[in-house]
Formats: sequence, structure tokens, C-alpha cells
Amino acid sequence: MGAHSRGNTLDFLKVANDLLPDGASYDACVGCGICASGCPASGLFGMDPRRFINMAMLGMNEELSTTPWVWACTQCKRCAYLCPMGIDVSQLVGAARGAWATEDKPKGIVRSCAAQKLDESTSAMGLMSEDFVEIVEETLEELHENQPRFADLKVPIDKKGAKFVINQNSREPAVEPEEMAPLWKILDYVGADWTYSSKGWAAENFCMFTGDTEAWKDMVETRVDAMNALESEIWINTECGHSFFTIWQGIEKFGLTANFEAESLVTYYAQWIREGKLPVNSDWNKNNVKFTVQDPCQLVRKSIGDQAAEDLRFVVKTLVGEENFVDMQPCRSANYCCGGGGGFLQAGMASERRAYGKRKFDQVIATEADYVLTPCHNCHSQIEDVGDHFGGAYTVTHLWTLICLSLGILGPDERKYLGPDLADINLPEEE
Amino acid sequence: MKRGTRKIETQLAVIGTGIAGFAASIFARQRGLDVAQFGHSGAMAYTTGYLDLLGVHDRRVRQDPWAALDELRQDEPQHPMSGLSNASIRAAFDGFTDALGDMGIGYTKAGDRNLSGLLPNGLAKPTFSVPDTMLPGITALERGAKTLVVDFEGLQGFSAKAFEVNFRDRWPELSSARLTFPGMENRQVFPEVLARSLETRATQEALAELIRPLLKGVEYVGLPAILGMHMPDEIRARMEEAIGARLFEIPTIPPAVPGIRLRETFERSFPEMGVQLEPQLKVAEVDFRPSGATLHLHGPMEDLEVEASAVLLATGRFLSGGLKSDQDSLSETLLDLPISQPQDRDAWFRQEYLDPRGHPINRLGVEVDGRFQPVAADGAPIHERLFAAGAILAHQDWVRQRCGAGLAIATAHAATESAAAALG
Repeated sequence: MGAHSRGNTLDFLKVANDLLPDGASYDACVGCGICASGCPASGLFGMDPRRFINMAMLGMNEELSTTPWVWACTQCKRCAYLCPMGIDVSQLVGAARGAWATEDKPKGIVRSCAAQKLDESTSAMGLMSEDFVEIVEETLEELHENQPRFADLKVPIDKKGAKFVINQNSREPAVEPEEMAPLWKILDYVGADWTYSSKGWAAENFCMFTGDTEAWKDMVETRVDAMNALESEIWINTECGHSFFTIWQGIEKFGLTANFEAESLVTYYAQWIREGKLPVNSDWNKNNVKFTVQDPCQLVRKSIGDQAAEDLRFVVKTLVGEENFVDMQPCRSANYCCGGGGGFLQAGMASERRAYGKRKFDQVIATEADYVLTPCHNCHSQIEDVGDHFGGAYTVTHLWTLICLSLGILGPDERKYLGPDLADINLPEEE
Repeated sequence: MKRGTRKIETQLAVIGTGIAGFAASIFARQRGLDVAQFGHSGAMAYTTGYLDLLGVHDRRVRQDPWAALDELRQDEPQHPMSGLSNASIRAAFDGFTDALGDMGIGYTKAGDRNLSGLLPNGLAKPTFSVPDTMLPGITALERGAKTLVVDFEGLQGFSAKAFEVNFRDRWPELSSARLTFPGMENRQVFPEVLARSLETRATQEALAELIRPLLKGVEYVGLPAILGMHMPDEIRARMEEAIGARLFEIPTIPPAVPGIRLRETFERSFPEMGVQLEPQLKVAEVDFRPSGATLHLHGPMEDLEVEASAVLLATGRFLSGGLKSDQDSLSETLLDLPISQPQDRDAWFRQEYLDPRGHPINRLGVEVDGRFQPVAADGAPIHERLFAAGAILAHQDWVRQRCGAGLAIATAHAATESAAAALG
């Protein structure tokens, strides 16, 4: 992608000043460079966060309106976390993205947003509402047939008044429907009163990544309307990072009325374990297989904070055994973005994305863990990809896989994200 | 969707995440108090990693900090350290460095003399306690040992050549070399990035491989401070074995690894120590009541309300946001504590920027009593359950006096002692 755009040239200093909270000032930047030092996107396309701020202060609007770096910054807000002055470059990057002409923006992100607009399903993979319902029904039928223990398992759709409404990343119904079953089993196990929504069910929002604020708002509105109509008390966001941020932040930013509380599935995994509803343990891990976790920026640093990181660790340590858990450094709110966020995975900049992800790769390798657990699809794909690219021997997997593994209810078809070492561990007994 | 409010309770709320704040939490835990700590990225990342006690007094560099403290008590009775005995300051230092050691960052024990800490530009400064990774460099200088200092292509702010040239007269056996860091070709590199990379065994081995051919009888090898972020002592030991020479770190200019290392160590260890740490949240408001205070903080998604029985303010000076100034006056940002200050802004500064006496503004700050309680103009405590520590305190000039860590650690120790007494 060349450094040019036919979009608008923004006055970045003005944008910066409009975005600032009361009492803050971009003039306060002392140029210390801790943002650039701590940013995995530093150096890509000759840019880094400090340089971006300096150039904004110097009025270099043309350069900032055209640098492709704005698509390599994942808007992870680590710079804002580190800056003693609280300067948040990610917001300027969002504004810069929005000013690009649509035809010049990375095609993968634009296409995904366009797909979301096709139907009230809001699926970035273009899966229509009726297709989603059909796939869920077919997958459920197969589960009933193949796993008699779950012959009575129900997957409610549009059940009005259910306590929880849960969203679903498009990847599973579109590409690997059997991966939906582990979460259904967990919900069944704990006796949750839950439902999918046939409208606005999809857990992804590439419209936010395009910088098109109106499109972001449309997506959130469609979803919020659908969830309001179901009158559920709580919306649980599935194992996905940005879909959580995009909804709660969208509701706040656009002043929408949401008659539900926004919660993360990780919070509920932890709660159900604490309440004894999900009696998982690490007895299956007799070979002391080692695990680490990736804290999704969108869930931890940008949303719930360290409380979510604590819950994530509690769940994982219970599942794999405290002695088999190794934390990445840094972690929790200080964690590095993996490079899969912000639409980078879909932006068609593989070499830059992998250069960014090298730091995550090193972090994983330093733990010497066999598995990386992460409740985020973009983290999952990126960490898997840099592992393949740089030659890491680790496997990336979902929390629902391990929870079902521990409970002895993970079917043979649901082990795609386990390595050969765990492929035959704790298989459900033949009935 | 309602914006949620999370409520927590604690005996002591520490506000600030610099050395003083972290030290206060450590001491408070050692005294058995429940602690919660709040703050934001502050000045921590700008430290060299050296812990100064008192390096300069009466405009002279001091070898014996304890004797200098005795003089300080005579010459500057209002200095925050002047009310503390040498024994209590030593106990504070030991408590802090022992805790750091337990968290995985080895520091030298409080001694009787100042050490001559190496600086990136080939100078040395008086300091008191240094990371174990830096001590061999001080020994090498003292002994004039045959030493090679290495820097890296694309690394700004650290020049092995400048280090060699500036030390040449004192240290004739010193030489320098430049390497390309493994996997970091043709790019600008930050020390932090190199340190992260050195957390992997593959990079440790690759770097050792590059250093080995340069040795030629060298006894010590100096590197900028990049020996990993969270197990520096282990990585140093592993690298020493791989190259077959003593290895040491030299601090770099900010943002430098030793400060980030400290911050991440605290962030990692505090939850295990039972401190409720929110390192990314600034306290927005404090409401005092007779038996304590309620703190209000605003996270991205939810608010936090803290019921605390006592509050310790360690918010630092201007860079960290504890103090601010406008055209007319200086103020304390969170509680609007009184700052005793000259009528006129003209009296803030002396004529010459480098005037060795320093500038009066640097000695303005929060006034406290002997129990480290902020006081009003009449000398009465502002609140029975409010304490303060660190650089926010008045009557010190920690930069010129080379007493930053000493001030932070010693006053945090004393303030938590008073807080613990107040809490019974």
C-alpha cells in the first residue's frame, strides 16, 4: 500500500484538541518516547506513536493523512497506558482512518464491513440470519445424534426474556460449526437460561476498524435493538475481544439506550467455577503440559481492566493446574497487542503484521509454554500465524475447548485446536 | 446499560505509582495492613535503576551518605529526611531492597559508602544501592579492569565509543565495539525492544555468539541495560556462562529498561502480595470523613469506589501530576493541599539555569508534620487519616541532592509507620 490517499486531509492538531479530555494537552508531550519504545508498531512504515504526535504538533497533516501506518497501529491503547500525560494516539489513528477514501482503505477491512451491512445478522462473513439459524439447527441435530449424552441439549434462538443473550463469532457457523458445540455444552452444564438472537448475533465489527463512525454506529444500533427486543437482563460477549469493546463503547459513544448489562464470557466462566456449577479441575493434565494466556487488549486494557485478567487467570489455573501456568511478561493491562487487532489481520499487510507480531512470538517463546489460551478470535489467529511463520511449536486454543476437556465432554470432532498430546485425553466414554 | 461501580475496601489507600507509592505499599504490607494502590504511568520509567540516598550535600559530592545525612540535619532541619534517624533510613532501604530481591530483582544491600554508578555518557555519579546486574561495572571501574563496552546499530542515546572516550583517562583498559543486534537489522531499536528479545534463549545464544569473538582477554563486558525485562539476574548468569566473561549493565537514557523492569515487577508481584493494585487508574476525587475517606476513580468501562481507613499521598511532582502550576501559583492537584510559596512567580527561579544552589520552586511542595501528615498554615493536620511521602514533599531538591530514592523510600517507611499507628 502506497503512502497516498484520495481522502480528506485532516487538521490533526484540531482533531487532537477536540478529542482531549478537560485539562489535558498534547503540548504536554515531553517527547520521552516511552510510547514508541513500548509499541510493537514502531518502525513500521517509518512511523511510531511519538513521531505521529510530533508531526501533528508540527502541522504535517498531509503526511499523517496518507501514512499507511494508521492501518498497522492496532489501536490497542498501550501508548495511552504508558504515557505519563495520558496522550492517546489511537484516537487520532481512528480519525485518520476515517478520512481515507473508501477505495484506498485496506480491501479486507472494507469488504468485511460491507458484508456486515448486507443483512440484520451483522456478520462480517456475510452469513444471513436465516443461514445462521439453519446452521445452528443442523449442528445441533448432529450433536444430538452423535453424542447421546447431549440428546436433550437445547440451543434457544430469539427466546424472549431469557436471562442471557449471547453473541457468536461468524467464524464458527461459517467455517467450523462443530466448534459451537463446546460452548453450548458448557451453558447446558451450568443450566444457563440463555438465547442467541437471529438478528445482530455476530461478534465482530469491522466497521469500527474502517474508521467509518456512522457504520460503526449502525452496527451497534442493529445489535442493541435486537437485544433490547429480547428483553434479556445480560448480554454475554463470547470469546472475542473487539466485539465487546465495540458494543459497550458504541453504546456510550453514540448515546444509545441498552436495556441490558454488558458482560464477558470470561467473567461468567470464573463465576460458574466459583459457584461450583462448572466443576473443572486439572486432573487430566497428568503430563504437566504448560499453558500461557494472551490478555486481549480489547477486553482487558481497553474495557474491564485487570479484573478481567484476574478472572482469566483464575479460570486457566483451575483448568491446567497452577504449577502448569506461566504468565507472559508483560501481561494483564500492560500486555502487548498480538498484532491481530484493529483489522490488521484483514488488512493485507502480512509482512508488517508479522514484524509486529514478532514481539508476541518472543513473549510466548520465553514462557516455554506448549499452549496459548486466549478468549479472542483475532488474537487466536494472529498468534497461530506468527507461530507458524517464525517456527514456534506451541498450539493456540479456546477456553471452551479446555473447559469441556476437563469435564470429560469434549467430543472427538471438537479437538481441532488441541495438539496430538491432548488429542485422546479425557475423551467422553462411549455410550 | 448502566455504568457500573465496583466497590472495594481497604485499610490504606496509596495514591501514586512511583518509587514512594510502591515502597509505601510494600512497607504497609510488611506492617500487616490491607493495602490498595492507584496511579498511572509516572516517572518510574525514567529511573536509571540506581537507588540514591544522599549523593550531594553543601554542593559537594559525598562518599559517606550517613555523615552527609548528619550534616543535612544540621543545615536543613526542614528537609523531609532530617527528622529520620540513620537507623530508620537504613531499615527502610533494607526493607525495600529485600522486597525487590524477593520479587526477582537483586539489589545491593545498604552499605556504609556511596557507590560510583556508571552513566551512559561515560561519567559516574554517587549512588547508594544498585541492581546486581550493574555492580560488576562499578567494580571494573574501581579496578581499572580490562573491559569491553558494546553498543548496537540503531540504538539511540547510548554510545560505547563515547563511554570509552570519556572514561579513557580513568580507565585505560576500556575498549568499545558496535554490533548489530540479532534480528534487529537496519532499524531504530529501543532498549526495551532488545530486552524483550533477550528473554528468549535463542536471542541470548545469538548475542553471546556475536560477543565471544570480540573478547581477546577481556575480563568484563558492559552492555546497555537490556538483559531481559523480568529475570535479569538469571539472564546475566546465563549470558556470562555463554561468553566466558563477567557481564554488567549500564543504564541508558529514558525510557530505560531498569525503570520499566521495576514497574512491571511491582505490577506482577503486588497481586500475589495481596495488594489491590490499579496501575492504570488515577484517583479523580477524595471525600474525607472522620474515620477515613472515599476515593473515586473512573475506569474505561466502570467506576471504582474505594472505602479507605487512611490515605497516603505519593503523587510526585510536575511530571507525575502531583503538583501543577499556572501563571501565578503552584498547587497540589488532587486535594488542593496548601503549598507555602512566595507571593510572586519571579521568586520561583534564580537568574542562571545551572545555578548550583538550585531554584526555589524545586523546594516547594506539601508541608508535613513529624508524622508525615500534611498540615495547614497553622501546623495542624489537614485530616487525621491523611499522610504523604516522596517527591511531593516540600523542603528538598532531590535532583540536585541526588536523594530521590532515599527520600521516597525513607519517607514512605515513616509515613506508613504513622498510618499503621493511626489505624491501631
